[in-house]
Amino acid sequence: MKTGETGILTTTLEKALEWGRSNSLWPLTFGLACCAIEMMAIQASDLDISRFGSEIFRNSPRQSDLMIVSGTVTKKMAPRVRRLYDEMPYPKYVIAQGVCVIQGGPYNQGYSVVLGVDKVIPVDVYVPGCPPTPEALTYGLILLQKKIRHETDR
Amino acid sequence: MVEVIEESIGKDGRKVIKVAKEYLIAIMKDLKSQGYDHLSLITGIDRKDKLEVVYHLHNMKEDKYLVIKTETLDERVPSLTSLYSSANWDEREQYDLMGIVFEGHPNLKRLFLPESWVGHPLRKNYDLSKVQYINMDENGDDYATFDPGDGW
Repeated sequence: MKTGETGILTTTLEKALEWGRSNSLWPLTFGLACCAIEMMAIQASDLDISRFGSEIFRNSPRQSDLMIVSGTVTKKMAPRVRRLYDEMPYPKYVIAQGVCVIQGGPYNQGYSVVLGVDKVIPVDVYVPGCPPTPEALTYGLILLQKKIRHETDR
Repeated sequence: MVEVIEESIGKDGRKVIKVAKEYLIAIMKDLKSQGYDHLSLITGIDRKDKLEVVYHLHNMKEDKYLVIKTETLDERVPSLTSLYSSANWDEREQYDLMGIVFEGHPNLKRLFLPESWVGHPLRKNYDLSKVQYINMDENGDDYATFDPGDGW
C-alpha cells in the first residue's frame, strides 16, 4: 500500500478484497461439545470478537464465512458437518478448536470419534487445548485474518 | 416364589439383590407393587464368559434405591417394557452397545448407531482395529461402512 501526497490511497484489488474479507468473518452458530461454551465466551463482552469484524454468529450456513468446529466430532456427526460446510458460500474458512477436533483427543482410542475433522473438511487454523481458552481462540481468529491477508506471522 | 442368589449392600449403601433371569420379571412385579415405581437405569457388564445386567430402581415416595442384578450366558434376558416404559430405550441402548437381546421387546433396534454397524462396541471382544465410518444417503439416513469413501 502507498499513501499519495494528495491523500489518495492506492492498493491492488486483491489486497482490498482480502482486507475486506478478513475483517468481516461471520462465524456459523454451530457448537458440538464443551468447546462451544468457550466459543460463546469470545462473543461475549469480555473478549468480543466484534472488535475484529466477526460481528455476529449467523444462524444460516449460507450467510456465514467461518466455521468454528468447536467440540468432539463423532462419526455420526461427520456427514452433517460436511453438509453444513458444503452449504457455506465461498470464500469459506474453518477453525478447528480443541484437541478432539485436531486428532481425537481423549477419544483417540475409541470407536465413535473422528480422528481429526481435517479427514472430513479442510482446516485453516488449529487451536489446541482442552478446551482452549477464549483468548487462544481469539488469537486463532487473528491468525486466520493474517492468513487471509497473506501477512507473515512473527 | 423368587429365589434370591445373593443379597448384599453396595459401596454406596444401596441394597443389591442378585436373581436368576428366570425370576427377573417376577421380582420386578413384586417390587413395583411395593412402591419402586421408577426404573432409573439399565447397565450391562461384559464378564467375558457371561453378560451381567444391572437395574437401578427408585422408590419415589420414600426416596429409596435398590439394585437388581442378573446374568445371562446366551446374551438373552427378558424385557421389562411391559412393567416400566422407561425400559424401552434403556434396553435398546444395551442391545446397541453390549449386544444383549431383550426377549419380548416391541422394537429392539439400535438406539445410537446405524443398523448396518457391525458388532457391539462396548463388548470385550469388539475389534477396534477395523475402523467403521458413517455416511449419509440422499434421504438423510445413516449407514456404516468399512470404506471411508466420499466425504471422508
